[in-house]
Amino acid sequence: MHDNAAHRRSARSDVNRRHRIGDRGDHFLRRVEGETGANLSACYQCERCTNACPVSAFMDVKPHQVIRYIQLGWRETLLASSTVWVCLSCEMCTTYCPNEVGVAETINHLRKMATHSTIRPKEPHLAVFHQTFLEELQRFGRVNEFWLMGALNLKPGVLKDKIRSGALRQEIELGYTLWRLGKLKLIPHRCKAVRGIRALYRNRYAEKD
Amino acid sequence: MTPDPRAHRTRRRPEGKVLVMGGGIQCALDLADTGFFVYLVDQAFTVGGTMACLDKTFPTNDCSTCMFSPKLVRVAGHPNIEILSNSQLLELEGEPGRFVAHIEKGPRYINLEKCVACGQCAEKCPKKVPDAFNGNLGLRKAAFVTFPQAVPLKYALDAENCLYLTRGRCGLCKKICPTDAVEFDQKPETMTLTVGAAVLSVGFEPALTPRHGEYGFGRYRNVITSLQYERLLSATGPFAGHLKRPSDGSTPRRVAWIQCVLSRDAARNRPFCSSVCCMHAAKQAVLTRSHLPETEAVIYFMDIRAHGKGFDDYVDRARYRHGVQYRRSMISQVYQDPENENLIIETFDHRLNRKTEEEFDLVVLSSGFQPPGSWRDLCTRLHLTVNPYGFATAPFDEPVATNRAGVFVCGGIESPKDIPETVVQAGTAAAEISILLSDARHTAVSQPKITADPTTDGEPRVGVFVCYCGSNIAGVVRIPEVLDRLRQMPEVAHAEDFMFTCSAETLDRLIEVIRKQHLNRIVVAACSPKTHESLFRDALRRAGLNPYLVTMANIRNQCSWVHPREPQQATEKSLSLILAAVRQAGYLEPLTDQRYLVTPAAMVVGGGISGMTAALTVADQGFGVHLVEQDQRLGGFAHSLTETLEGDSPQQLIRRLERRVLIHPNIDVHLNSRLTAHDGQVGAFRGVVEEAGQPEPVDYGAVIVATGGQAYEPDEHGYGKDDRVLTQVELARRIQADPDQVRGLQRVVMIQCIGSRNADFGYCSRVCCSAAMKNSISLKEANPDVQVVVLYRDLRTFGFKELYYLDARRRGVLFFRFIPEEPPRVKTNGTGKIIVDFTDRSSLHDFRVDADMVVLSAGIRPHEASGQLAGLLKLPLTPEGFFMEAHVKLQPMEFSSPGIYLAGLAHSPRFISESIAMAAGAAQQAIKVLCRNEITTSATVAEVDPDRCTACVICVRVCPFEAPFINTDGVSEIPPPKCRGCGICTAECPAQAITLKHSTDNQIEAQIKAIAAGELG
Amino acid sequence: MKLAFYPGCSLEGMARDYADSIDAVFRSLEIGLVEIDDWSCCGATAAHSLSEMMAVALPARNIAAAEKMGLDVVVPCANCFNRMRFSQAMIRKGIFDVPWSVTGKTRIHDMTRFLSRDDMIEKIRRRLLRPLSGLKLISYYGCQMVRPPRITGFTDYENPQTLDRLAAAAGADVLDWSYKTTCCGASIGIGRRDIQEALTRKLLAKAVRTGADAIVVSCPLCQSNLDSIQADAGGRKLPIFYFTEVLRLALTRVGRSQRWLRTHIADPVPLLRARRLLP
Ligand code: SF4
Ligand code: SF4
Repeated sequence: MHDNAAHRRSARSDVNRRHRIGDRGDHFLRRVEGETGANLSACYQCERCTNACPVSAFMDVKPHQVIRYIQLGWRETLLASSTVWVCLSCEMCTTYCPNEVGVAETINHLRKMATHSTIRPKEPHLAVFHQTFLEELQRFGRVNEFWLMGALNLKPGVLKDKIRSGALRQEIELGYTLWRLGKLKLIPHRCKAVRGIRALYRNRYAEKD
Repeated sequence: MTPDPRAHRTRRRPEGKVLVMGGGIQCALDLADTGFFVYLVDQAFTVGGTMACLDKTFPTNDCSTCMFSPKLVRVAGHPNIEILSNSQLLELEGEPGRFVAHIEKGPRYINLEKCVACGQCAEKCPKKVPDAFNGNLGLRKAAFVTFPQAVPLKYALDAENCLYLTRGRCGLCKKICPTDAVEFDQKPETMTLTVGAAVLSVGFEPALTPRHGEYGFGRYRNVITSLQYERLLSATGPFAGHLKRPSDGSTPRRVAWIQCVLSRDAARNRPFCSSVCCMHAAKQAVLTRSHLPETEAVIYFMDIRAHGKGFDDYVDRARYRHGVQYRRSMISQVYQDPENENLIIETFDHRLNRKTEEEFDLVVLSSGFQPPGSWRDLCTRLHLTVNPYGFATAPFDEPVATNRAGVFVCGGIESPKDIPETVVQAGTAAAEISILLSDARHTAVSQPKITADPTTDGEPRVGVFVCYCGSNIAGVVRIPEVLDRLRQMPEVAHAEDFMFTCSAETLDRLIEVIRKQHLNRIVVAACSPKTHESLFRDALRRAGLNPYLVTMANIRNQCSWVHPREPQQATEKSLSLILAAVRQAGYLEPLTDQRYLVTPAAMVVGGGISGMTAALTVADQGFGVHLVEQDQRLGGFAHSLTETLEGDSPQQLIRRLERRVLIHPNIDVHLNSRLTAHDGQVGAFRGVVEEAGQPEPVDYGAVIVATGGQAYEPDEHGYGKDDRVLTQVELARRIQADPDQVRGLQRVVMIQCIGSRNADFGYCSRVCCSAAMKNSISLKEANPDVQVVVLYRDLRTFGFKELYYLDARRRGVLFFRFIPEEPPRVKTNGTGKIIVDFTDRSSLHDFRVDADMVVLSAGIRPHEASGQLAGLLKLPLTPEGFFMEAHVKLQPMEFSSPGIYLAGLAHSPRFISESIAMAAGAAQQAIKVLCRNEITTSATVAEVDPDRCTACVICVRVCPFEAPFINTDGVSEIPPPKCRGCGICTAECPAQAITLKHSTDNQIEAQIKAIAAGELG
Repeated sequence: MKLAFYPGCSLEGMARDYADSIDAVFRSLEIGLVEIDDWSCCGATAAHSLSEMMAVALPARNIAAAEKMGLDVVVPCANCFNRMRFSQAMIRKGIFDVPWSVTGKTRIHDMTRFLSRDDMIEKIRRRLLRPLSGLKLISYYGCQMVRPPRITGFTDYENPQTLDRLAAAAGADVLDWSYKTTCCGASIGIGRRDIQEALTRKLLAKAVRTGADAIVVSCPLCQSNLDSIQADAGGRKLPIFYFTEVLRLALTRVGRSQRWLRTHIADPVPLLRARRLLP
């Protein structure tokens, strides 16, 4: 589709903008393959994953490029990408990949790596949301939507952004509608197993990036 | 049941009969023409396999039926072939040379002998069922014939659907059948046959079934397979050749092809490439664009695999001349618009950074292939081993062998392959059997009785037969109108029309009409006499007429094909052409053929793997061989090769072949030699071999051209200046010779398509992608940490070679695609790292690699000696310098000059195993000549009237075949076997001393007058 | 017949109506559902995104509880189903150790799959009180229930049939459409509402083109997402039914109040009245 010679990067002569292959070896590839069991090197760049993905337009590194970048060892680019946060884990890519690459699992793994790394997440709201969800979970053992949203809004910067974008109004309106329909449970249920879950939660940090 | 143990020891003469299971038409003919009796066993009601389903074939866009029908006719009429349709091979006992085959013949419910194919049963049958031959796109009856040219052309009842057979009601066909052929009480019969060998040639079928759910096949009506599309295009298909889509019969305005459906798909356990789909799609898109110029054709693909002779050229034409749109992108899913059943394909557009939806009226899935359903059971019964995907892949040096001696495979069941490769392998299998059973040649067949052709006289009574050629002619020319006008002409005694005049049954009907109507001059208004006249001559013979009393009017190639948009004028023109032929017919005279003896030896030019294989194939059957090699040793190009992708050793093969050739009593090896003169005609050539400067005359009946090829010597990318820039062949040798140096490499870049697929040399060299796979795997084996970067344009690891591409990737070899407009740039100053810059078309990033070594995949070129030989033998070459075969599809090993055959790299770039197959196959074509005692030549030759000849030698100079010479009487003489009947001398002779028989002056004048006089207004 | 029931967090909150209708349908089919005692959250997308270990361990706790009960589990929520199957598969492979004892023998059923078994369909057909004839439905499965096939066991991942069969058994006219398993983007809504809206709007537009009256779903997240986004999507509103609501309508007596049908943003009552399925 992009066979057009006119459609190519400028600064062709700028040697420094050329990516160098091989300086990093394939350690990163081997590592991710080892950790996920995914067949990353089998990819033949057919782009079936990117064509299948419902959100490839919202990603800065497209699914097939994710695989290529891992092969090239471009760890920082990947961990700093929007892709790892935007991915819906809808598994379209994995399902259609002819080489059993396990694209979705790989992106999911990169997201975990990103969480444990010092690289600032490209989509902070999504990162914070996942974090908050787990916090709520360890508080009650179950997750209550009302309390989850409340906790999320208390996170630094979240409320400010929502007010600015008008998302807060939408959220309140929706909340009111749901409450009217009897679909909002205000008092959370607390599981007996909360203690065990908290122990798990603490252990989680034992997992190394 | 257990075979007699002594049978091993007593060397009884083998059985001269062969069992060919499956389509296997070509193999059956190759065997039957070399003195063996063939049982052609087919599970279907008709023989022919997939080719019968095809509409046209690439690259010539020839009508498949037109190419195929003559073969079917020959099989049907061959005295040495017995067709057992609707039959299955149950078991095979015994040993090579003497097998007992148990066959079960299924009930057809219609007596083969009695059925006259009048079709009344099908007409009356009330039960309509989806027609599998038409990809279930149309309907047929439960009483049916598979397709109009079916062999045998006999009706059958479909037991699963016949109302009488399933429910005991109806029986209409039995009541109506005029010959009482319907037999509801037929039961399966078993029979045993003794045969010397067996060939399994069961072909393949599309792997995609609705069960897979891929791309909505079976769910959306306008998603079809490529084989179904073939039927939509075909004149005999469900829409009579008018392209319509299944859901509503409307003309599709946008058609998409999706490639690699269930191919190259490891996730669905089909990791291999089906080899033929790329060209199949290209052809279908071209045909679509030419049928319907308004219709868009879009092909979604990964790599274009145009690895055959001239295929790239075809794809380029599809793209740039026919406007077929190629999109390099694989789609995941096809969606349907519920309102109009149009199909939606979503792709990610990198330029716009968004998903785009494209709507199509029809989506064609290029489904991969798999062995037919019954194949696994057959393998179990016959104890055959197959590969994990069910194919009976053969070893590299025995390209048609199975694990059971005396049982051979050929065609699509060996591995997915296209038509020419299938024809080649059919020849190979015939050759193997012909060697195995050579003691029994001619023992089981009836020798054709050579009787003098009847001389026919009496007042001319002209019969005209007009062919529809499916819709090829009838789609343009108004045949009923033509017939009306013909019937009004006083000089036409009888006129009749046929759907396919060349079908076996139609020919029978034609003979009947000739006899009944007492016709003695025949005009067939159909296609080209070049391909079909001999067929009609045979028919005349069978009708008791002299075979030369037929002539043809080519109202297809010269009329309907060239005037598709002017039906009225085309109809007029057809009438003129036919009238001219009718007038000529009035002057046709009976002629007699000539005969001469055959020299039972072959001349093989080239002593490489192909040449040696061809020589052994001929010699092992008891015929003599002159093997002429330019070099001082045998082996040729393969000497430079170390190992094949599959791990076999060409060196060992060369040594094995060489040893056998040198001691073979039937082979005369001439080293340091060239063929310097060549004369004579098929079966009786005479030439001069110059061995170390010493000329020596030799006689031979056939020639096999196996001059081979040579490697392209690159001048790109610093090759020759920096010894770290090598070719793949050199790298392979280095890996063997200096493993330590290779182990020390850190970064290697391979660049594909060096000296191939460019303006200077258009062909793809076919083998280089595999060479890159082999070497990169070897490098990774030597040192798993080495970085190998392969820069390619299209990866062409077709067939099971795709598995090695997967292996290379899994080992971490990196593949980047470039486009020829922006080739990689290599910078080297002889020391330090070699810098390779390139742009990856997939990510659009610019890259730089500091390499220790750059490996060029240099292509294959024809051998430099081929030009000289082509001149000597008067053979055509392609612009690239390879020999040009008689017909790319059906005669890959033959030339249009009879008695000369083609094998190996001289034909086109190919793998060793393919060369071996071709060499044996070509040798078998030569055996067709050598195994005959004498040859009959055509009577349509030029004849000199010695009284008029002034010995001006113009004819000697103009004849392209060097036939005329000045004889001892001082006048020109044209030996009939050498004359090819081209008529050039006849036209040039100033004394009008030369007559071309069957095209005499008065005949031609009559034709010209008929057309020029404009009698038809 | 008795089964262990894992409702999942949503069924306590936004999907209260789903829980109600499940209760009614199983009661009417006389199948006992025993809620897993003190069940906890499956971890959903968050655990999956942030910690492999949590993604396996959290569902494992509930699987262990079900194993103790000695019953097969049915799961109404697609996401919970997916997470439980995933956890079970990982434990079977022996990749993770969890503090609960899981043998992996318990069968985890997606509720639609369980109810669309031949015998269940037969049962539904026999008890049909009000065949929903004339009601044109399309079914929407979303992504979590069917993908990845090797975890979910759906081999017909592009064209699954469970909901279609159930809606058809209820007597409705079920239309085929191509977007049954296209992701609606619900899970990303909280951080990137723009993406969620883009995906859902597209889906709804495709749904409207089929000419269907309503959509049948089985995933609480999909339901609330499709239902709430179309409220401001303009155009024709499509009621989004839980499949159990459709079954309840066909299997049970519907009282005057129809309270349980009044829990949707796109109100289905006018449609049902127009189709003469409600008084
Ligand atoms: S679908 Fe698989 S093989 Fe194709 S580009 Fe994506 S990951 Fe690679
Ligand atoms: S799992 Fe992520 S990358 Fe894969 S298709 Fe879904 S959203 Fe795209």
